[in-house]
This record gives sequence, structure tokens and C-alpha cells, in this order.
Amino acid sequence: MKQNNMLAMILAGGRGSRLHDLTKKVAKPAVSYGGKYRIIDFPLSNCANSGIDVVGVLTQYESVLLNSYVAAGRRWGLDAKDSGVFVLPPREKSDADLNVYRGTADAISQNIDFIDSYSPEYLLILSGDHIYKMNYAKMLAYHKETQSDATIAVIEVPMKEASRFGIMNTNETGRIVEFEEKPEHPKSNLASMGIYIFNWKTLRKMLQADMKDPDSSHDFGKDIIPTLLNEGKNVYAYKFKGYWKDVGTIDSLWEANMDLLSKNNELDLNDPTWKIYTEDVTALPQYIGADAVVNKAFITQGCVIDGEVRNSVLFTNAKVAPGAKVIDSVLMPGAEVEEGAVVTRALVADGIRIGKNAVVGSADSPNIELVAKRVKGDE
Amino acid sequence: MYKAFGIVNFAGNHIRVDGLQDYRPVGACSFLGRYRIIDFPISNMSNSGIDNIQVYVRQKPRSLTEHLGTGRHYNINSKRGKLNIMYTESAQVGDIYSTDVEAYMENLDCIERLPQPYVVIAPSYMIYTADYSEFLNEHVESGADISMMYHSVDNAKDAFLSCDTLNINKQKGVLSIEPNRGNAKNRNISMDTYVMSKELFLDLVKKAHKTSSMYTFADILNELCEDLDIRAIPHRGYFAAVTDFKSYYDANMSLIDLKNASNLFSSDWPIYTRTNDSCPTQYFDDSEVISSVVSNGCLIDGSVENSIIGRGCTIKPGAIVKNCVISADVVIGKGVHIENMVVDKHARVIRGKRIIAAPEKPGYVKRGDTL
Repeated sequence: MKQNNMLAMILAGGRGSRLHDLTKKVAKPAVSYGGKYRIIDFPLSNCANSGIDVVGVLTQYESVLLNSYVAAGRRWGLDAKDSGVFVLPPREKSDADLNVYRGTADAISQNIDFIDSYSPEYLLILSGDHIYKMNYAKMLAYHKETQSDATIAVIEVPMKEASRFGIMNTNETGRIVEFEEKPEHPKSNLASMGIYIFNWKTLRKMLQADMKDPDSSHDFGKDIIPTLLNEGKNVYAYKFKGYWKDVGTIDSLWEANMDLLSKNNELDLNDPTWKIYTEDVTALPQYIGADAVVNKAFITQGCVIDGEVRNSVLFTNAKVAPGAKVIDSVLMPGAEVEEGAVVTRALVADGIRIGKNAVVGSADSPNIELVAKRVKGDE
Repeated sequence: MYKAFGIVNFAGNHIRVDGLQDYRPVGACSFLGRYRIIDFPISNMSNSGIDNIQVYVRQKPRSLTEHLGTGRHYNINSKRGKLNIMYTESAQVGDIYSTDVEAYMENLDCIERLPQPYVVIAPSYMIYTADYSEFLNEHVESGADISMMYHSVDNAKDAFLSCDTLNINKQKGVLSIEPNRGNAKNRNISMDTYVMSKELFLDLVKKAHKTSSMYTFADILNELCEDLDIRAIPHRGYFAAVTDFKSYYDANMSLIDLKNASNLFSSDWPIYTRTNDSCPTQYFDDSEVISSVVSNGCLIDGSVENSIIGRGCTIKPGAIVKNCVISADVVIGKGVHIENMVVDKHARVIRGKRIIAAPEKPGYVKRGDTL
């Protein structure tokens, strides 16, 4: 806080229902990604690397695992004397029956007291379900330079896909003149990344008004940003270049994992200057057996591979038995593929076992098969 | 539940791991890619409920202090527990006066102040897992003065040559402690692991100091074998002693076999180490890796066989790595063939295209060196 006067709040309450069984018991930000990470490691590590040392995490849906996970702030180095990660699930309040977060803006409104206790000048709002590396300090510098009331990070998306996003139309100085949510005929390809920096005083006033507005859906995209623009406030777009992925579906989660397999991939998790931190799991190094075949793979500690692994991502403690094949697939933590089983174009969920000689997924299926239940094999 | 504090002793003058030891104490040597040897005794203590641990160090403490930090990664409570690094001002490796007894004498008041009535002493150059709380219980219940752990081996003729052996009677009483002269296959190797009351420990240290300035703790025990009731407690499971360069190499290589490794590691007895936050390892299209143990953060293009690869290594296309122990952050360049070598941290083997040592006499590439 002393360094930059900015506090971060991560919106991590969403279920991500298109991830089906993966988010049955855990919220989307806690879903595993990239061999050893959870999605929320990305915004948290970005904060730590950007010199932001107080982070609030707003949780709601199935939050037991997520709450205990993020509460250990030392994982991201957010445990210095004046630093911390604070879990903020909804709470019962005396003045209203506000026991759930009614929207993204409401989640912040209901924690005005928490934010005030740090009296920050700037508030950074982040989403807990995106995979990217970003230096928020640079965005803050831009926010100060443009003397904005709010700055919104945007990324250029292919024009034909622009209608899937919230699109920002800017003038030549980068000032946002119009915001369109999923426009049918987009005028620009600058998509909002759901990353905002606000002057806290300005936002605080708006949130208090929004809380009382019976017609508001209490959402940043639908309510707060349009109001800011209508009131003629200074809102600038901060252009981000680099890897950014919203893994909303099984296919896109699989794809985001596959992105890690190519040489010099854009996300570059091996960059020593911008590490992504995560839980420190006690596991053996990876054991590659005498008859193993490992080609184009992203494999982490605790894995034991005696079979064949091609074009696949293996998470902590995944096991591939002799004669088993894992091709174009993702094995989540503790997934086991037993002898002779073949897994193709599939995403095998945490701790799931694929039995002897079982066959899962297929090379020509258009979609990725999610395996969230034990597959019985030959006994 | 009896209460003990822990002492992790440094490797004595009879131990010399050529090359690696020029840069760090034996305990701080990288082991099986992601560990340091000292992770084993400290994890054993931590898992046994010992949360007040003194680690003794002589020269070149930098690497060890960096690795140990506050001890939080060893699951030691940062308020109730303590991982103390004990420096010895006068100690020089190889100096006859530089003994463990000398180190304890220098830190006598720190030991006297500890509230725990018992002490467990473990060496920093041996690799094994053991439950010290069982060891302590067995000791207290036996009524013995001292208990020490041993491991029965059948290869004492050509291994464990710098270790001590125990001569034991049928009641598991220790009759004498002798150096392993390599003249018999079957021996009870002393694991330099002891438990006794703090009081007796301090008495023995003072006695040793008075008797001879070059006496070690083992020396005084040996001398007093007849007067003291010393019991030997057998150890089962994986056991290795890193006493020289070859045994360092052999201990690493032995754990490539998952069967041996599962004799050492178990999910209910975690071996902790310091995390490096390295990402998973990336294997590219042409990688060929078999019979190997690989740490995180590596980029592997070439072929690796029967080797241990440390964190953050790069194995370039066309490289062949065979029967090697590679420490962290090493680069093996394009088309390099390296065999039967130990490669120390940060080394870059790029221009030397064929670096092959004899299997019975593995070679060494220095820390940070470029070949």
C-alpha cells in the first residue's frame, strides 16, 4: 500500500457452470490449470509481482476450498508485515438483508468498510478466472498519466469474434467514448478484460448510489461503466498485449493447456522475472520409466510415467501405467491411467482413474471429452 | 510423549565429497534433483514432532542458510518452533581441531538453555527416513544411557568405507564402535544417529573436550562403551551415506529405480524442501527420455537416459545425457554427448562435444563452469 496506494479486489465468486462437473464442488477460480496451478494463481501472482500487497478476494459459490486456498497469502509472497490476502465471502449485515453478492459491483459495495480501512487512492478490480501475465503497475502509471477516473484494460480480439465480448469504442487519444456489451455489429475489436482501476473516491460514491438503485443489476459491465460514460467521466482504455484467456468451457480449458506445449508459447511460464506462484506441494520429482515415451508434453512433479504420453499436459501426481497411452489430453492432479488404457482428446478430472485397457475419448470427436467419473476397465 | 530437541551435525573430517564440497557443506548438496541432502534429517525431525532444531555448519554456510531460511517450509511453527543455524567461529574443514565436540563447546550455553530433556542427533550426510519419536520412546523405555541407530548391510567391503561399524551383543548392547575397514561384507553401519538425555549429552561433550582436543563425539562414545549402556536400534528401509564423490553419485543413481525410491519416500512421511516456484517441465517433439528422474522447470529437446535432472535445466536438441546427475540450472548444448558425469549448478556444457567418464569413476563439471 505504501508503495502505490492501490488495493486490489479479485472477483472470484462465479461458478463457471459451463465447466460442468469440474466446478461442482469448487468455484471456477480454483480450477486447476497448467500442470501445477489454479486459475486464481494468475491474478494473485500478478499482484505480487506488480508490487500490490493487499488483496481482497470476493468469494461466493462453493467457496470452502477457494477460501482456504487463497487465505495462505505466503504462497504468493503476500505475507510481509503490511501485506495480506483477505478472503471476503458475503456476510450477514445489520442494516439490510445483504447476505449474498447480487452482482460484481455489489460485491465491492458490500466491502466498502474493508476497503476504507486501508484508505487507498486507487482500487484495482480483477477477475479470478482469467489466465494472463500483466504488470498492473504499468496500468496504474497509465491511469495517472491520463488523469482518468477509471481505466479499463482491453485486448485486441479478431474482429469476427468481437461480438462475444464487451467492446470499448475509443477516440484517437484512447479515451473510451462508448461501451457495447456483446454488440451484433462491433465498431472496434477492443475487448474489455474485466480489469479496472478506479479512483476510489469516485467509485465509492457511485457504488453507494448503485446500491440504492432498484433497477440496477449491480454489475460493473452493465451498470457502473455505462454510468461513468454517461456522466462524461474520464475513462481510458489501457491496451494489453500478450496471452489472455478466459477458460469458460471444457474445450477452452483444454485448449489453454495445449497452448503450453508449443515452443516459445506466449504465456511463457518459465520466465524467471515473472513467476506464477502456487501451492508448494510435497511430491517427488517426475519419474520417467524405462519403457516410457514422452513427446511434446508439459509434466510436473509427482508424475510417474511408464506408458506413452504425447501432446499432453499432466498435473501433479498423475500416473500413466505401462502400455497406457495419453494423447492430446489433460490429466488433472492425481488422475491415473492404468495399464493398456488409451486416453485421446480428453480432460480427466482430479483423482479419476481410467481402468485397465479402457478407451476414453477419440481422435475425431469435435469436442473434448470430460472424464469426471471413474472409468472401469478389465478386472 | 517425551520431548527432545534436534541436532543436525555437520559431516566430519573423514568425509570428503570432491568438487561439490568446494562450494557448500555436504548437507547442502543437491540430491535427486529437487532436494538437498539435509532435507532428509530435518524432515525426519519435523515429522517426528521435533520442532526445535539446531543445524551445525562449518565453512561456506551461504548455500545452506539460503536453503534453510526460517524453516517454515519444513513445517516448523514459526512461533513455537525454531530452526537455528549454529555457526562455529574457529572451524575449518580438515582442521584436526575442528570437531563436532568443538562446535558443541562453542555453543554450550545455547544447548543448556533448551527446555527439552532429550536430544536426537542426526548427520547431514546420510539419506534415510526414520521416526525419531519411536526411536525416543524405545530409548526411554529401555532405560539405556544412549541409543544409536544402525543399518545392517551386506556390501561393507566396498561401500560405507568412511563409516563406523557397531559391534553388538545379542541384547543389542553396543560393545564397540570401529571404523569400517572393508574386511567383511556383513556389517552394522552406524548411522551417526543418537538419542540420550540432554544432561548426559553435555557431560559427554565436556568429557570429550577434556580428554583430547581432537576428539569427536563418536570417539568419546567408543572410549566409554564399557561404562555406558549403549543400545543399538536397527533401521529398515532405504539407507545411503554420502561420504565421498562416488557414494554421492551412487546414492543419486540408486533412486532412479522407483522401487528403491518407494523404500525411502512415503506419502505419510513427506520430505520437505524449499520451493523454487519453477513451472512444470516442457518436453518437446524430439525429446527421448527414459529411466530418469526429472525436476520441474526444465526444457528438454534432447535425449536423457538413466539420469537425474535438477530444476530449470535445458537439454538442447541432439544432446545425449546418459548416467548423469545434473544439478539445477544447467545447460547441455546442441549435440553434446555427456555420460557418467556429475554436473554442478549453473554449468553450461556447450562446446565440449564428448564428455564421457568411465562408469566406475564418474567425472565432475564445476559449478558455474562453461565447457
